[in-house]
Amino acid sequence: MPHNESYYYTAYVVATVIYVAYAAGLLFRWNRVKARLPGKDE
Amino acid sequence: MKPTPLTIAALAAVVVTYIRAIFFTPIEAVQGPVQKIFYIHAPAAWVAFMAFGLVALASALYLWLREDRLDRIAESSAEVGVVFTTVVLTTGPLWGKPVWGAYWTWDARLTLTLFLWFIYVAYLVMRGALDDRAMRARYSAVLGILGALLIPFIHLSVYLFRTLHPRPIVMKPSAPSLPSEMLTTLLLAFGAFTLLYIALLRARYRYAVTRDGANPAEEHRAS
Repeated sequence: MPHNESYYYTAYVVATVIYVAYAAGLLFRWNRVKARLPGKDE
Repeated sequence: MKPTPLTIAALAAVVVTYIRAIFFTPIEAVQGPVQKIFYIHAPAAWVAFMAFGLVALASALYLWLREDRLDRIAESSAEVGVVFTTVVLTTGPLWGKPVWGAYWTWDARLTLTLFLWFIYVAYLVMRGALDDRAMRARYSAVLGILGALLIPFIHLSVYLFRTLHPRPIVMKPSAPSLPSEMLTTLLLAFGAFTLLYIALLRARYRYAVTRDGANPAEEHRAS
């Protein structure tokens, strides 16, 4: 099975995209609820 | 949310793991480069099991002590666990296609892992659907505990059933059956992704605390 590099690269890219997308979504949600905190401008 | 030393350490560890796995770990003789998927697939599975194990533990403690923070820990760990299980379920087929000739096969380990993912996605959906805070925490705790009962079956499925999935080569009673360069990379990956899990869990828990602080009086949905 010599020519299977594309699966390997794809797996690393897909895994990275999943982690980054989750972290970005979490940051987005955190900023949204932070804005709703009474008296918090941070 | 500012990056903490833990977050920076986790990101650095993952980057080092990627570099070592891609550039400094030998290519396996039979499978070729695709075997390197192992270094992101197996640690993600380990972390997912750990995450759902924590869900079960925090849920059991919640049912006993009724402390909101235990419910938040369970909720946070379940969400992060689903992310890692999603990585398992996407990288696995990308490894399976060139090695097995198929992206997916309905054998015991793959099917049970998919069930596990469905259970904890349902857990998160249920949390979003229940407005009553106490009821949501109680129902979630029960589902969180029941879902984690699948984990030992998934681990043992390769012994109990005929399956294409290979048996454990590290987490087994005898010594790991890997060359030392590959074993070092794998152990580094286990450490890096465990650190990433802890960083994501902490961030998700802080989000839950902030969310509950933003809505102290009203019942909120766990979105």
